[in-house]
Amino acid sequence: MKQTRREFIKNNAIAVTAATAGMTIPGVKEALAAGDDGIRWDKAACRYCGTGCSVLIGTKGGKVVASQGDPDAPVNRGLNCIKGYFLPKILYGKDRLTQPMLRKTNGKYDKNGKFEPVSWDEAFKTMAEKWVAARKKGPKGVGMFGSGQWTVWEGYAASKLLKAGFRSNSLEPNARHCMASAVGAFMRGFGIDEPMGCYDDLEHADVFVLWGANMAEMHPILWSRLTDTRLTKPGCEVHVLSTYEHRCFELADNGMVFTPQTDLAIANYIANYIIQNKAYNKAFLDQHVNFTKTVTDIGYGLRPDHPLQKAAKNPNKGALTKISFDEYAKSVESYTVEYASKLSGVPKKQLERLAKAYADPNKKVSSYWTMGMNQHTRGVWMNGLVYNIHLLMGKISEPGNSPFSLTGQPSACGTAREVGTFTHRLPADLVTKKDAHCKFAEKVWKLPAGTIPRADGKSDGADQPDISGKPMGKTLIHAVAMHRALKDGVMNTFWVMCNNNMQAAANMNEESWPGWRAPDNFVTVSDPYPTVSAQAADLVLPTAMWIEKEGAYGNAERRTQFWRQQTGAPGEAKSDLWQLMEFSKYVKVEDVWPEELIAKSPEYKGKTLYDVLYANGQVDKFPKTQVTDDRGNTYQNDEMDHFGYYVQKGLFEEYRMFNSADNIPKKGHEMAEFEAYHKARGIRWPVVNGKETLWRFREGYDPHVAKGEGVKFYGKPDGKANIIFGPYEPAAESPDKEYDMWLCTGRVLEHWHSGSMTQRVPELHRAVPDAVVFMHPKDAKKRRLRNGSKVKVVSRRGEIESVVETRGRNRPPEGLVFVPWFDAGRLINKVTLDATDPLSKETDYKKCAVKIVKA
Amino acid sequence: MNICGVLVHARPDNTEAVKERLVQLAGVEVHGINEDGRMVVTLEEDDEGRMADTLLGLQQLEGVISASMIYHHSEEDEATPEEVIQ
Repeated sequence: MKQTRREFIKNNAIAVTAATAGMTIPGVKEALAAGDDGIRWDKAACRYCGTGCSVLIGTKGGKVVASQGDPDAPVNRGLNCIKGYFLPKILYGKDRLTQPMLRKTNGKYDKNGKFEPVSWDEAFKTMAEKWVAARKKGPKGVGMFGSGQWTVWEGYAASKLLKAGFRSNSLEPNARHCMASAVGAFMRGFGIDEPMGCYDDLEHADVFVLWGANMAEMHPILWSRLTDTRLTKPGCEVHVLSTYEHRCFELADNGMVFTPQTDLAIANYIANYIIQNKAYNKAFLDQHVNFTKTVTDIGYGLRPDHPLQKAAKNPNKGALTKISFDEYAKSVESYTVEYASKLSGVPKKQLERLAKAYADPNKKVSSYWTMGMNQHTRGVWMNGLVYNIHLLMGKISEPGNSPFSLTGQPSACGTAREVGTFTHRLPADLVTKKDAHCKFAEKVWKLPAGTIPRADGKSDGADQPDISGKPMGKTLIHAVAMHRALKDGVMNTFWVMCNNNMQAAANMNEESWPGWRAPDNFVTVSDPYPTVSAQAADLVLPTAMWIEKEGAYGNAERRTQFWRQQTGAPGEAKSDLWQLMEFSKYVKVEDVWPEELIAKSPEYKGKTLYDVLYANGQVDKFPKTQVTDDRGNTYQNDEMDHFGYYVQKGLFEEYRMFNSADNIPKKGHEMAEFEAYHKARGIRWPVVNGKETLWRFREGYDPHVAKGEGVKFYGKPDGKANIIFGPYEPAAESPDKEYDMWLCTGRVLEHWHSGSMTQRVPELHRAVPDAVVFMHPKDAKKRRLRNGSKVKVVSRRGEIESVVETRGRNRPPEGLVFVPWFDAGRLINKVTLDATDPLSKETDYKKCAVKIVKA
Repeated sequence: MNICGVLVHARPDNTEAVKERLVQLAGVEVHGINEDGRMVVTLEEDDEGRMADTLLGLQQLEGVISASMIYHHSEEDEATPEEVIQ
């Protein structure tokens, strides 16, 4: 049979779609990936969210022409969400940056000058001069703000550059804004980061509970798996908790809209219900759980002179005290259904239905949450309160019984958390607070002892010497504090990579903007596009993105996934990895290390940071080679070509010395060898003897739990998890007479994150071009507004203009408005409050008080 | 040339009604439906803007529980009808 190319392609579309559904269409045969139409197909992890779908990328003539959901991927099984469909287009936005741009006047750098194209050499020379000068002030003089969208090796290279090279802990990822509360709760509860379960729970559970996650829009592929289970498994039910109605409510059997912040009370009520009805799993509690309580009245992570901060009895404190089961029972006793219902506004019947589902010993329950719970001034507590429920029932670490923290970014887990690109962390859950951990890292990195700044600036009890001539002092600085430090002149250079922090950080008017634009500060932004951040910078570096480089991401279920470079970047754009390593050639050890330290390793005298950190015999160990897949297709690798060795492999294998060597301080993060990931559709850690782990802490699933141990929470020295009581405490700012509405911010399906990529796709931008104010019709009527009316959203900090939407997909209750934050034209973070969780330092973007007035 | 394959999920007792709505959209064809409510759908529309509108609209269509993109092919140069592969 003869067919045109168009028919051929269409037949493919039908065949592949049918195959994904397990259907056969008569007369249609799959001819894909045969390679006979000149298209090279290869797998890649999706660029967008933390789900970690795999897509097949079809390249022809150096350009991506086709994409397909990867049928062999366990995560998405051939499906793609709508953003995945538009994925290749993010590479081809018309305003891609193609050359470095520096603000200049009369040929010289000028903070108030206009952007002019410069060479990479001029860019790095200018930058190095500023960085070396700023570092002389102390370890907080310089700072870097990275990303949960960095590849694993980019995060690792950045950690080395800042912590070892510049001897500064001023390194934070944007994951601080989204995952820090989840991390805090994992460490307090289990002593080891990341979920115990995995996506397979989506098929095993009988009951699903969403706590502050709009999975239908934010994790559509996981939602489609959940939908399948709900529609095909008898008795399966879905409970949805949110502060406004969203698309998940369409499938919900029990949809509950609660007053912001009262999730704390609801969770404690469920624990109380379980205890009152003696439904708890006593044997499990006796063997595997410690009861504790946390210090209360801890403030809101604001500046110390803020009245709310001054009023707090125990600002920023997080100590746990052991209590008995009876004391715990007493603590939750006041959280009756009446009290929880009164506070939250959720009818008693609905709360009881939810509590019963958790308390039923015969039902497997999986709980999911994302930013609704993490971006919360009591986010660490709140995460913990949900673990409490699962631990009380012993419903944890087994198929279908799973408290599961979803992630927003593709490698919030793999890069930010596992590599540890936070101020207080080192790779594989090690921390700068511990001298021994720093010493271990120094050994792996072949550095003199005392190189890495300790959290308290002391090694072996003595002050660490610094290039400033003064003792190192306290070195930790979290993301929100970085903007405050820039504004206060403590930090003078700031490198923002792979994120859009000017748009993303809260309280832009009072902190971010004045900090970035202060005359003495030099801000560098690396990005593929001219984002709000790029426009606010002094130096803009054009970046190669996603499949324009070889990469690795780690998703929310501990799955590490690799991809090969599929295509080249436009113009002079270079990957973050190239930029980090190349920049390090411009700084000498003498510029940033004190003499005492260099004297310990005289061989480093006169060397550049590049020589010490990357050309160290480990990172440069694997010689240049042709990247080839098992079908014989070849791929370019621009970093390998430039540096002359297999950079990605060298960095990953050195990173494995932290998580997979015999002598590591913290077990449980083991990973497979580099090449294994290029073959597999991702592998979930811990990987022991080549085998991945689906459920952690339980015998039979987790290789770290020995025969006969049953369950062991081995992140804690005694093998027991913590149930942590934390009470309901009010939000930092609640509506009052003048500012009479709650403001909640978030996302929509068509745009991912701040929109810096998705807004480049004309179709997506056209579908949802501007952020609107989702509002209850009665609230609109009260203010004489209608659907489509122009309004101002005003807080004590700033205002934006937008239009009212009363009939959209998000339906807030009376008293609350919802505004998406992807829109660079309507920067909602001029309005939001920079209140944070005092423990995780993560900003609460979900609650502040505003008023809505006619524009 | 701009073609994509989409898997649409509707409640099983509702697939015929959803099919009727789907085929009214320009460039949409339904090639098969199974007993679970899954439908194999293609969209063919050379104008990228119109294609995207259809695609985004499809998700909002009454009775559609989920719509997943499975396959997408887009080439700027239109192949001639004479360019026959096999």
